[in-house]
Amino acid sequence: MAIPVDSQHWANLIWAVLLLPLAGFLFQAAFGKKITDLLGESAGRAVLGFMAVLPIAAGFLLSVIIARNLGGLEPEARLFITTWFNWIDLQSLQVPFELRVDTLSMTMCLIVTGVGALIHLYATGYMAEDRDYPRFFTYMNLFILFMLLLVLGNNLPLMFIGWEGVGLCSYLLIGFWYQKIENAKAANKAFIVNRIGDWGFMIGMFLLFAVFAASQGVIGEGELRYLSFDVMFAHAQEVIPQFGPVVITAIPLLLFVGAMGKSAQFPLYLWLPDAMAGPTPVSALIHAATMVTAGVYMVTRCHIFFELAPVAMLVVACVGAFTAIFAASVAFGQTDIKRVLAYSTVSQLGYMFLACGVGAFSTGMFHVTTHAFFKALLFLGSGSVIMAMSHDQDMRKYGKLSKYLPVTYFTMLVGWLAIAGIPPLAGFFSKDEILSKVFSSGSHWAGQWGGFNPAVLYVVGLVTAVMTAAYMTRMFYLTFHGPEERWRNLPVPAHHHAHAVAVTGEAHGPDEHGFFLADEEVARRAAEEEETHHELGPGHQPREPGFTIRFPLLALAACSLLGGMILAGLNPLAEMFGAETPHFFEVWNEPSAGAALLPAETMFRTEHSTEWILVGVSVLAAVIGIAYMRFRYAKGLPEDERRLRGWRRAAGMQWYFDAAMYRLFVEWGGRFSNGVKRWFDEGVIDGLLVHGSAWTVGAFGKVFRKTETGYVRTYAMTMLLGSVLILGYFIWVVSR
Amino acid sequence: MSDTNLTPAPIDWMALLPIIGVTATGVIAMIIEMIRPRQTNNAIVWCCLIGLGVSAYFVLANWSRPAEETFGGLFMNDRFGQVTQLLLIGVAFITVLFSEGYLREKRVPFGEYYPLVLWSTVGGMIMVATRDLLILFLGLEVLSIALYVLAGLKSGEKRSQEAALKYFLLGAFASGFMLYGIALIYGATGTTHVTGIGELYALRETLVDRYPFNVLYAGIGMVTVGFAFKAALVPFHMWTPDVYHGAPTSVTGFMAAGSKIAAFAALIRFLDGAMDLSSVWLPVLTVLAVLTMFLGNLVALVQRDAKRILAYSSIAHAGYLLVAVIAYSKAQGMFDVEIGYGTVIYYLLAYGAMTLGSFAVLSLTARGGREGTLLEDFHGLWRRAPFPAAMMLIFMASLAGVPLTGGFVGKLLIFKDAIAVDMLWLALVLAVNSVISVFYYLRIVLAIVVREPDLHPTRFAAVNPGLFAACGICGFLLIWIAVAVDPFMKWISPPEQHAIELRESPPESSVE
Repeated sequence: MAIPVDSQHWANLIWAVLLLPLAGFLFQAAFGKKITDLLGESAGRAVLGFMAVLPIAAGFLLSVIIARNLGGLEPEARLFITTWFNWIDLQSLQVPFELRVDTLSMTMCLIVTGVGALIHLYATGYMAEDRDYPRFFTYMNLFILFMLLLVLGNNLPLMFIGWEGVGLCSYLLIGFWYQKIENAKAANKAFIVNRIGDWGFMIGMFLLFAVFAASQGVIGEGELRYLSFDVMFAHAQEVIPQFGPVVITAIPLLLFVGAMGKSAQFPLYLWLPDAMAGPTPVSALIHAATMVTAGVYMVTRCHIFFELAPVAMLVVACVGAFTAIFAASVAFGQTDIKRVLAYSTVSQLGYMFLACGVGAFSTGMFHVTTHAFFKALLFLGSGSVIMAMSHDQDMRKYGKLSKYLPVTYFTMLVGWLAIAGIPPLAGFFSKDEILSKVFSSGSHWAGQWGGFNPAVLYVVGLVTAVMTAAYMTRMFYLTFHGPEERWRNLPVPAHHHAHAVAVTGEAHGPDEHGFFLADEEVARRAAEEEETHHELGPGHQPREPGFTIRFPLLALAACSLLGGMILAGLNPLAEMFGAETPHFFEVWNEPSAGAALLPAETMFRTEHSTEWILVGVSVLAAVIGIAYMRFRYAKGLPEDERRLRGWRRAAGMQWYFDAAMYRLFVEWGGRFSNGVKRWFDEGVIDGLLVHGSAWTVGAFGKVFRKTETGYVRTYAMTMLLGSVLILGYFIWVVSR
Repeated sequence: MSDTNLTPAPIDWMALLPIIGVTATGVIAMIIEMIRPRQTNNAIVWCCLIGLGVSAYFVLANWSRPAEETFGGLFMNDRFGQVTQLLLIGVAFITVLFSEGYLREKRVPFGEYYPLVLWSTVGGMIMVATRDLLILFLGLEVLSIALYVLAGLKSGEKRSQEAALKYFLLGAFASGFMLYGIALIYGATGTTHVTGIGELYALRETLVDRYPFNVLYAGIGMVTVGFAFKAALVPFHMWTPDVYHGAPTSVTGFMAAGSKIAAFAALIRFLDGAMDLSSVWLPVLTVLAVLTMFLGNLVALVQRDAKRILAYSSIAHAGYLLVAVIAYSKAQGMFDVEIGYGTVIYYLLAYGAMTLGSFAVLSLTARGGREGTLLEDFHGLWRRAPFPAAMMLIFMASLAGVPLTGGFVGKLLIFKDAIAVDMLWLALVLAVNSVISVFYYLRIVLAIVVREPDLHPTRFAAVNPGLFAACGICGFLLIWIAVAVDPFMKWISPPEQHAIELRESPPESSVE
């Protein structure tokens, strides 16, 4: 299985890819403030920004080299495992610190470093005014480090470190502007909801550990690295079925719970919309392009466990499909541009799980890749709009922005058409492939899923495609088109200073987090607020942001435009004309993400004529969605958008799901916990056990202290007594 | 062991070098004391530090030699002795390091202090490197007599005088027991060498008519009393709080760390040589251990003086150490349990570092001839001296047994050993005591970190480089040995055991 890697091998370059962000992180953390102090604000920030982008960009170039070398090998040989040291070394278990270089991990690695580098570059512009510039890039580089560890780690514990690490960075970055209590709350929410997923992941991991540790006979006595993926996957088929159907199904389901948390699937999607509180580059990088796809990656990486359990596959497919359509419906009720994108992310992640659920893991990864392009593009574009509009995110106040922001407009146009699924843009290829594979695998799964008709999933996917096209059109037209510039109709904003004081709190009291601030700090913040905060008003002139913002937009637009065609090798089109052109992405990922047990060759096979029809149907779905919404929104803001009513209002509030969860767990759960605290913690534990036992012990101490009189005669007497007892013991008991 | 008492014993000067080194350093320091400039002891301090470093080097020079007895069986040169000698040298080193600033503030800047510390160390080094009871006694007296003087160093202070007198009276009492015990043992067996005693005892079935074993038991009982006094085991502990409290703080630190290391090492020696006797000892030691742990911890709870708290804490720790000793010597009699002396050494090192370190921090309250050691006197130390206070947190965490410190790993090792020899109940007693102890360590932390100084805050002494270094070394050691447990245990275990202790693991495959 594993290929020996000597120290000279090119696969070891992967360590550099991993360690570069670490170096970047340490540099930013250690010298960030010093450099701005030393060189002055603007020059210091230029250096820091450069030093933040550099490691990621260099990592991308190295990844390209590794991926090219990997592609030059035979498909079976595209796997290297390189070990640094033995991390956990026990008598019955070894977990080395080892990285896995294969096509799947390199795919993710290219996405993370490539898109990551572009977003870092974008962030140097976006965050240029922020006073915590070094802190931002410290977190961002740390995030890339953990994300790379997640995708490159060759065993479950390493993956888990990365998994938790990205969760931490996500928390830190969502709450980056922690001065506002809502942001801190959003960060907490993300962290807490993710805990539920992590719980599932951990239990799944423990279960796998128990199963493999108990199967030493099967995997070989000397093989102690049984938490490493290569050993696990090689033996999964023999080991896991021994433990009966419950374990077979429980393992993938528990892992999927983890994936649901990280990848925001219903019902654990709750945190993702709130995560938009973070700076926009964070939303683009972490909450759209990379971290949220970690769940899909994990399912794909561990696909053999899922393939063993058809029931788990059904669950994955259904949760994915339901999340896709649910989130798409919620997107209709959003007025905040970033929230529309957030729900569309949730919805697209649902598509990816739908693909995984029917066994098309490689297709799921394909959608991860194209989605990374166009969703990062859309988020960065929205960031550009938000910057131009004084950080006001309400689409109802936009309109006709194409006049002011041409570059943003054209790049977002590409992103919009790509996500809507218009050929030949990136989103079309992956989405169409998912739908076609869901459709074609129906006959295979119909038998496995006892009565459940897989055609339902296809229909749901198709309806979601119409909805996606529709709500993205709504967003696009509300923002860039329409007859009037709607912010011109807004009232003139109130005086800034009053606002600033309201935000920073009273000069002499604690602020809302309980921090006492020095007077100078309060004054400084107020001044800063005054300087940076412009409220959107009639006199506002939107301006296109600078080069560092435009370049990533253009690069990602190019990827969204051409990426699908290149990666798919134009396959669907070519195949329709009878040519057997290989699907580049699928061939590339075949060794690592291709189905191991499922009959992939036969289950996805369709007639060319059927394929034609499927493509036609998906394009039609996109066109219908776009056309309907274009006519509805081209004339400007419809009357019913001013205040959402009816189903749109309900949809906008996530069909009251969030509120119900809040009521159930936060309010009632809080009341329950308070009760437990009062009666059990304070009453039984504190009162009886803690204070009771402390009192008892203290009483003993007080008694014993009395023996310490201070008189030598007492001491000598005690010693003598002790000696007599000991001697008595020796003489009488022992020599009896 | 040597029976050839008639031929002159071969003299192995190399093995003696560390002891000679420390003694000579003391002598040189004494000479410097006479010719130094009036105002400063710095030359003496430097001389001592260098001499101790050289002596440590002498120990390491003997490191790879095989274990053997020399001087006709009077001196034992083996890894155990070398490690404990190193520990004692380390204790003396750190004591010398932080003493000067303290003594100056305490207004007892006597040059004699340093030679006395060194010679006391010599006594300890002799104790740990012999299997002969008489030499052991000799070492014990050399150790103790210097300590009597040191305890009364501040002659103008009542507490200090009282401490010296009490220590001396009770010490003499205990020495009497010990010497009488040794005499009885000699009378019963005709030898003072523990190996000889053990061999004789092994043959007791056949020799029962020719040797009076009852006398031997009585002798052992009396020697036990001697050890128990030196190690401050209940009920022979009563001198400890008063003496620790009254003696100058640097002396207390040295006493608490150094003399306990020597006493326990000598105890291990005795048990090791006379292993067949362990069934006789163990019940007594077990009772002493339980009493010591409970009394030390319970009384520490109700103290208000930081030095007294630490005094009782050192009693409690003697109890923990005794558990380790019991497990060690019980394992020798069991077929399938292999426990080295590693746990005891590990705990001695951790104990030495955290005790000495915390006394070094306590010495900061001395200023201008006065010294307050009540908990209130430490309020606000965090502000005034952040580094020592931070180190104090490590020492307290380690004493309480918080993970990532040497104290935790040490307790864990003791726990493991006790369970391995089927003494789960004793391990549980240890655990319960460990929980109790957290309370009073937290009180010290509370006083140092949380509490604000009251109306008349203590004026702490300035942190001198020596104290800084002493705290830093102790703190670093505690963290380091907690991280590198395995390498440390390998390093201190005797060379011939390496082969056994190396874990059987499959060869590392180049296929990764």
